[in-house]
Amino acid sequence: MLKLHLKSLPAVLGASLLCVVVARAQSATPAPDNGSLDVEQLFAGTCGFCHSDGGRAAGRGPQLMNSQRDDEFLHNRIKIGKQGAMPAFGESFSDAQIDQIVKYIRALKPREG
Amino acid sequence: MKKRWCNSGLPLVVGATLAASAALAQSVDTARIENAGQNDWLTYHGSYKSHHYSPLAQINASNIGNLGVAWTHIPGRSTRGLQSMPLVADGVLYYSGSYSRVFALNGATGEVIWSFFPELDEALISRQTHSPYNRGVALGEGKVFVGTMDGRLFGLDAKSGKVLSETRLIDSQKLTVGFTGAPLYAKGSVIIGSQGGEWPGRGPIFAVDATTGKKKWEFLTVAGTDEAMKTWGNDSWRTGGGGGWMPGTYDSETNSVLWGTANPAPLYDWSGADYKTQGARPGDNLYTSSVIALDIDTGKLKSYHQELPHDAWDFDSAVGEFVMLERDGQKYVVHPNKGGFVFVYDRNLGVKNVWRLVENINFVKDIDPKTGALIGRRDFPVGKVTEVPLCPFIGGGISWNAGSYNPKTGLYYKIGQEWCMTLDIQKTTPVTAPQVQLNIGADFKMVPPPSGEIYGHLDARDPITGAKKWEVRFPEPPLGSVLSTGGNLVFVPDSRGILHAYDAETGAELWKHNNGTGHQGGIVSYSVGGKQYIAVAAGFGGMLADEYAPNFGGVYKSMPRDDGALVVFSLK
Repeated sequence: MLKLHLKSLPAVLGASLLCVVVARAQSATPAPDNGSLDVEQLFAGTCGFCHSDGGRAAGRGPQLMNSQRDDEFLHNRIKIGKQGAMPAFGESFSDAQIDQIVKYIRALKPREG
Repeated sequence: MKKRWCNSGLPLVVGATLAASAALAQSVDTARIENAGQNDWLTYHGSYKSHHYSPLAQINASNIGNLGVAWTHIPGRSTRGLQSMPLVADGVLYYSGSYSRVFALNGATGEVIWSFFPELDEALISRQTHSPYNRGVALGEGKVFVGTMDGRLFGLDAKSGKVLSETRLIDSQKLTVGFTGAPLYAKGSVIIGSQGGEWPGRGPIFAVDATTGKKKWEFLTVAGTDEAMKTWGNDSWRTGGGGGWMPGTYDSETNSVLWGTANPAPLYDWSGADYKTQGARPGDNLYTSSVIALDIDTGKLKSYHQELPHDAWDFDSAVGEFVMLERDGQKYVVHPNKGGFVFVYDRNLGVKNVWRLVENINFVKDIDPKTGALIGRRDFPVGKVTEVPLCPFIGGGISWNAGSYNPKTGLYYKIGQEWCMTLDIQKTTPVTAPQVQLNIGADFKMVPPPSGEIYGHLDARDPITGAKKWEVRFPEPPLGSVLSTGGNLVFVPDSRGILHAYDAETGAELWKHNNGTGHQGGIVSYSVGGKQYIAVAAGFGGMLADEYAPNFGGVYKSMPRDDGALVVFSLK
């Protein structure tokens, strides 16, 4: 299991949140300062709905493991999205958090067994 | 309330003839929808009986070789394809496209009478996953009703497209979800259900006064009664889900709205067999994955049947039609479930039979046909589900588009889907705060059934017993609706883009036409000036269609997922 703890992140991700923060237009649920981002849970909760097998296979969205796209592309696609294909997460995650998601994607390996 | 207009969406009346025709048209009311005049298609399911059947027989098995394209309309901006069911009243065809664009067209020529492009909260829509497609409109009292992804219901003047009412029903900024399904008009009310399922809301279904646009009632499909609240242990109703994202129907004899509800969240629970007391949402989770009967005047629950208590597989009941039939003096309601079973009810939703449309089902061993009780259910703990994959796939044994019942043949024509999935169930933290994205609870992947290849099939079956008369197989499951007609025809728009016509009695293919892109929307028949037309939505993309390119390759690799057209056929 690969878990990435983001102690320095803004107070956005608490124990009650899988992955995303409330849109700026609404009042956010308070989260502790030391909130951590469990990217594996993020995939099981949200990303894996399109990126099959936790990002290891193509599904509604492309396979992320061994992606040929560079980090900047992945960062921007997560942040801005793609109309009709990929939701925009720029209001959900800070740039630092998106970098952690990219790091997780880069570390994806085939499942054992 | 602030009214929003897009310049390009200002109503445009084209041609004095068309305007006069529309002005002379009768208003659509409950009695007219109930009687389902043969020239029209007045509500999503064809009539309140949900037959998706046209008695028109000008186009028939003997002359279908002469069927050709009469006209085409391009709605534009068809992000995730064209998924709606056209409606027709008095020669005018109404339909919606992505972003809730609505068009009124001359049914004989395709000429645009008016169009309506609502100004939407684009920033919100860019954050949504199940968006921005729209699956249809409702007609009633001289208006066209359409829901939007940002939580509003519009009432448009059927003659001009002018906005007559705008009702905000959901705070979509807070809950993320909105409306993609068609509304239902009946008895002075417009009923519309919200998206739900994967999000932490309570899945409301609304009734709005068709005349004033004011909300009449709201029913919460998640813990909407005291009884239901007890079925969500550990306050898991806050995690929610539910909703009713496809239109149901109206039964005038019982004064009820019949509606199917969506799944609870997270989709996949880690409870294992102890789901009554353990896991993400201990209990049965009423009224998710259920069929419900609501008093149309008050919204009070009158009866229900939960097709899948504690649905742990995302095989919800929001899909499908409520086919009303009579046989041997008994009145039945037939409702397909996403898991691949078809439920047969009496008019009070008492179970009369349950039969399998789909071969590859293993989320339960069976469902008791007398009681509807699940037998031998598979409830997963944390971990991998790979050796015996879960069947069907998350796309369902039955998808949300409609089948067709033909009173002349007595057969129900319905698409089944044969596919499975592997899973890695994870214990995720409860999501109870309004937030932007999903609550799935597992990683997953589509795989073939243990018995062989993925495929889809059109079945012709007895709707009450499930006895199969014939079957036609497709290499990939078709995702569009089915139409049968009085001309002894069954039309199936498939995923590769071919519109097929089959002999309704034998299943023999009589005609086909390539529309150039996959289908995943509606198909209807109507008549204008004594001429019969077949209208079908073409345009691929969306939550299930997006799986086709990576899994099936072939024509899907280059098939656009941001395009669509309404294609209308008549005899040459």
